[in-house]
Amino acid sequence: MPIIELNHLTKSYGGARGIHDLTFQVEEGEIFGFIGPNGAGKSTTIRTMLGLIYPTSGSAKIFGKDCVQHGPEIKRHIGYLPSEVFYYDNMRVKDLLQYSASFYKKDCRKRMIELAEVLELDMSKRIDDLSLGNKKKVGIVQGLLHEPKLIILDEPTSGLDPLMQQRFFSLLEEENRKGAAILFSSHILSEVQRLCDRVAIIKEGRLIALEKMSDLKDRTYKKFKLQAKNELPEGMFAIEGVTEWNSKNGEASFLYQGDINIVMRRIAELDLLNLWVEEPDLEEIFMHYYAKEA
Amino acid sequence: MNLYRREMRAHLKSLLIWIAGIIAMLAAGMGKFTGMEESGAAMNELMADMPKALQAIMGIGELDIGTPIGYYGVLFLYLLLMAAIHASMLGAAIISKEERDKTAEFLLVKPLSRGRLLLCKLLAALTQVLIFNLVMLTGSILVIGSYTEGESSAGAILSLMAGMLLVQLIFLTVGMAIAGAGRHPKRAVAYSAAVMLLTFLLSMAIKISGHIDYMGVFTPFYYVDAAAVIDQGIGAGYALLSLGITAVALVVLFAGYNRRDMR
Repeated sequence: MPIIELNHLTKSYGGARGIHDLTFQVEEGEIFGFIGPNGAGKSTTIRTMLGLIYPTSGSAKIFGKDCVQHGPEIKRHIGYLPSEVFYYDNMRVKDLLQYSASFYKKDCRKRMIELAEVLELDMSKRIDDLSLGNKKKVGIVQGLLHEPKLIILDEPTSGLDPLMQQRFFSLLEEENRKGAAILFSSHILSEVQRLCDRVAIIKEGRLIALEKMSDLKDRTYKKFKLQAKNELPEGMFAIEGVTEWNSKNGEASFLYQGDINIVMRRIAELDLLNLWVEEPDLEEIFMHYYAKEA
Repeated sequence: MNLYRREMRAHLKSLLIWIAGIIAMLAAGMGKFTGMEESGAAMNELMADMPKALQAIMGIGELDIGTPIGYYGVLFLYLLLMAAIHASMLGAAIISKEERDKTAEFLLVKPLSRGRLLLCKLLAALTQVLIFNLVMLTGSILVIGSYTEGESSAGAILSLMAGMLLVQLIFLTVGMAIAGAGRHPKRAVAYSAAVMLLTFLLSMAIKISGHIDYMGVFTPFYYVDAAAVIDQGIGAGYALLSLGITAVALVVLFAGYNRRDMR
C-alpha cells in the first residue's frame, strides 16, 4: 500500500497559482523528493494533503485513507515541519513541545529530550527570543517527537547552519531506517540529491518529471566557466555533451553532460587563470533539460 | 482538553484586565450615587426636563435615579456595552488568531478535527464570558447592597445579569462566526466590533426617535432595556430570539469553518 497517493489532485485559486492534475505515489519506507522553484505549488500540495485546504478536484490519500474524510486519524502518524515556523510567542520551548506532544496519545518525553540534545536546542528559552535557525529546530523536534510514520518537510533546511543540517539529515535517515516514509520538499536540488530515492519535479503547478534519483544523477550536467591566459583555440570544446557555448576574450562558459574526464583533459591543456565548476540550479534544469523534452 | 487549557491560559491576562475594568467601573459609577442620593428628587426633576435625546444617550428613561437600583439601571447600559465589547472581541480573536499568527499550521496538523477544535475554543470562550458575568453579578450585588438598607435588589440584578449573558452569547458567537466562516480572518476582530457598535448605535437611534421601536429586534441592546428588565424581567420573546441568534451563529461557525481553506 502506498503511503501517499495523489490522484489527479487539483487545487485552483482562479489564477495561475495552484496545482493541476497531480498524480504520484510515495511508497513505504521511501524518501521522496518534491522539488520545484518557489511558487510552483509544493506548499499547496502539502497543505492539501494535510487538510489545511481542500482540493478543487481529485483526491489525496495517506495510509490509504482520504485526507479530507479521515484527517484526524491520519494526522496521528504524520510529522510536519512547515517552511516558515510560527509558534505561540509567549510560550517557552518546553511548554510548546509538551503542548504539541499532548495531542498524541503516547509518551513523547524521552524522544523530545533526545531530539533537543542532538540539535542542541535550549528548551528553557522563550520562543520570542529564538533565532530563525533555533525556531526551525523547535519545528523539527515538534515534528518528530511522536515518531511519525510519515514525515512531511516543507523546505526544511532554511535557517539551519551546515552542521545542524547534517545532524538533521542523519536524524531523518535514522527515522527512515526505523520505517518512516519522508516527503522532502525543496527548491535546492543538491540537498534532495543526498537523501532521496525518487523525486517529483513540479513547475507551475504541474508535475513535469518523476524519476529515480540515480537516473537523474546520470543525466545531470555541470556548469563550467573558465578564464584562460590566452585566446581560446577555435573548436577546443567541440565535443559531445557541450551546450550553451559562450566565449569572449579568453573567457568561456558552457554546460556539460557526459564523462567528466573527457572535458577535464581538454581543460588541462589550457593555461588557466581561473575555473568554476558548478551544479546547475533548478531553474536551469528546467530551462535546458526539461524544456527540450516538453 | 489540552486546547481548552491552552486557551484559558492565553486569555487569562486579558480577562484579569477586564475584571479590573468591571470593578473600577462599578466602584466609580456607583460612587457618584452618594452625591446623587441627597438631591434625589431634585435630580429626577432636572433629568426629566432634559431633551429626550439627551436622556436616551445617558440611558435615563423611566428609571428613578434617586434609588440605588434605578441609578444602577442607568449605569447598566455602560456595563452592558463593556460586556458586548469583551464578548465580540474575544469571540473573533479566539478563532482568528490562529490564522493571524500563522499558528493554524501547527494546530490543524495535530490529530484533531476542526469541529473539535471549535468546540474546545467555544468552551474556553464560554467559560470566560461566564466568569465575566459572575464577577459583574457579584460586584453589582455587593456595591448596591452597600447603598440599600433592608429591601434587596438582588432579584432585579439577577435579571439584568441574565440579560447581559444573553447579549454576551450573541456577540461571542457572532464574533466567532465572522472569524470562522468569513474570508478575512485578519480583519475579523474589526468586523465583529463594527457589528457590535452598529447595533449599539441602532439601539440609541431607536430610543432617541421614539417611533421606530419595531427596529428593536435588530439590536440585542434593545432586548435588555434596563428599565423594562428591572420592572418585569426579560421578555420571553427576546430571550428566545437571543438564543435563536446564538444558535444560528454557531451553525454558521461550524459549517463555515469546516468548509473553508485555512490561510
